[in-house]
Amino acid sequence: MRRTFVVGRRVLRQLRRNPRFLVLTIVGPLVIVYFLKLFFDTFPEGFDTGRYAVPAAAFIVHFMAFLLCAIALVQERTAGTMERMFVNGFRRAEVIGGYVLGYLGLATFQAAVALGEVLWLFELDYDADVLASLFAVVWLLAIASVMLGIFVSTFARRESQVFPFIPLIAFPSVFLSGLLMEPDELPRWAELLGRAFPVFYANEVIQEMIEPGGALADVWTNFAVLAGYGAALLVLASLTLREVE
Amino acid sequence: MDAIELEGLEKRYGKKVQALRGVDLSVRKGEVFGLVGPNGAGKTTLIKALVGSLRPSGGRARVLGLDPLKDRTELRRRIGYMPQSPVLYDDLSGLENVEFFGAAHGVRGLRERAREALRFVELEERANDPVHTLSGGMKNRVSLACALVHRPEMLFLDEPTAGVDPRLRSRFWAAFRELARGGVTLFISTHLMDEATLCDRVAILRQGRVVVSDSPREILRRGRTRLLVRENGKEEERIIGGRPEDLAEALHAYGLRKSVSAVSVETDSLEQVVLSIIGEEA
Repeated sequence: MRRTFVVGRRVLRQLRRNPRFLVLTIVGPLVIVYFLKLFFDTFPEGFDTGRYAVPAAAFIVHFMAFLLCAIALVQERTAGTMERMFVNGFRRAEVIGGYVLGYLGLATFQAAVALGEVLWLFELDYDADVLASLFAVVWLLAIASVMLGIFVSTFARRESQVFPFIPLIAFPSVFLSGLLMEPDELPRWAELLGRAFPVFYANEVIQEMIEPGGALADVWTNFAVLAGYGAALLVLASLTLREVE
Repeated sequence: MDAIELEGLEKRYGKKVQALRGVDLSVRKGEVFGLVGPNGAGKTTLIKALVGSLRPSGGRARVLGLDPLKDRTELRRRIGYMPQSPVLYDDLSGLENVEFFGAAHGVRGLRERAREALRFVELEERANDPVHTLSGGMKNRVSLACALVHRPEMLFLDEPTAGVDPRLRSRFWAAFRELARGGVTLFISTHLMDEATLCDRVAILRQGRVVVSDSPREILRRGRTRLLVRENGKEEERIIGGRPEDLAEALHAYGLRKSVSAVSVETDSLEQVVLSIIGEEA
């Protein structure tokens, strides 16, 4: 456990030393959310923008957290620092756990900033308990995304090998996870496929909570699935991360 | 028990590439052992197999009596590894890098030990500078400090002096000697033949095979000596063996006659000896 914290502290320290990277990871989602606002402003008045805007913020956080973490870990492999960590006695679970700890802070911050901007720009007014659940679900999604990034990175030897995974994860999340329509209107197999992506469960919670009279009790299983999703990926990644070539 | 015992170690990549073709080798405890060979000879592959980050395709390896893969948890506590080209975190300082790799070993009094390691590589005054501001030679020194912060029994150094200027290279070798005096076994790869003469024993690796393994002095004895004698204004050249006894025997033949006005001796360099051994084997 001590070595997990050592890795986490080192990852955080590297993030802090890299202000340009940090600013981009925070400003990037902010700008994209603003573009979203411009896009929805062209829609007729009375259009329910909240139904799309909040999940869109969740998706942006998911995508950024996934990508940044995957690339950072692949860079460790290409630079040789991954091998050096292992030869120095760090174990797979410690390296992965350290990355989760390191990126947890960044993901939390991204979740808060993106969600806050959506609520402010789109003038969405929700009760405190709804806000708390929205933040909780976006945060949980961000953690699952970090895990997904770690998992995907174990299949790539170079940065360029991460890129094919990006559309494979981004597009089904957009089209099949209910961001744009109700998933139950999809063919059965496509709906099931959509359930393979963490955005699906986050969206279920968001749609329920932003509905007037929505109740957390109806969607709490999605919270559990999202948490389980992250945990399962963590276990899978610690099995697929290669310590010996 | 030797520090390293290898029997027929092999590594294949797919069907075509065979990086190691049955390496037999033994390294004694406390010696500075050089693994010499051109680029692509298999030096890095062999070191990676010995530190347990590469799975061999065949053969048997023992490092400090341990299996590099099965016993890697135990082995990694006792060895230090400096990869080829300085593998460091560029955003962090030299001290932070040394501390990070030292923390993996649970080193007590880590800050002081990290400073001590940086002092050893004469980089204490730049300890807090980010690695990306350091020169290539300084990065190499930080990388060495990372490998020895936990005071390992055995050090694996993969081309530690590649791209290092001659002055720094001699400082590196002085440091290696100092470590060896302290009882550390060093396994150093290099593609520079002249560095081989600085080792207690060397193995010449070529195309994944050990061509010769011995002390540099013994390898030199396998070379030839050209004896040039000027007698009555006439040059004569004789090729004799590389042993001192061969030279004495050849000189006896001349009996130091007054007519002999000049004698010069040219011995094969280590590189020439190795090339001729390779030629014999081919």
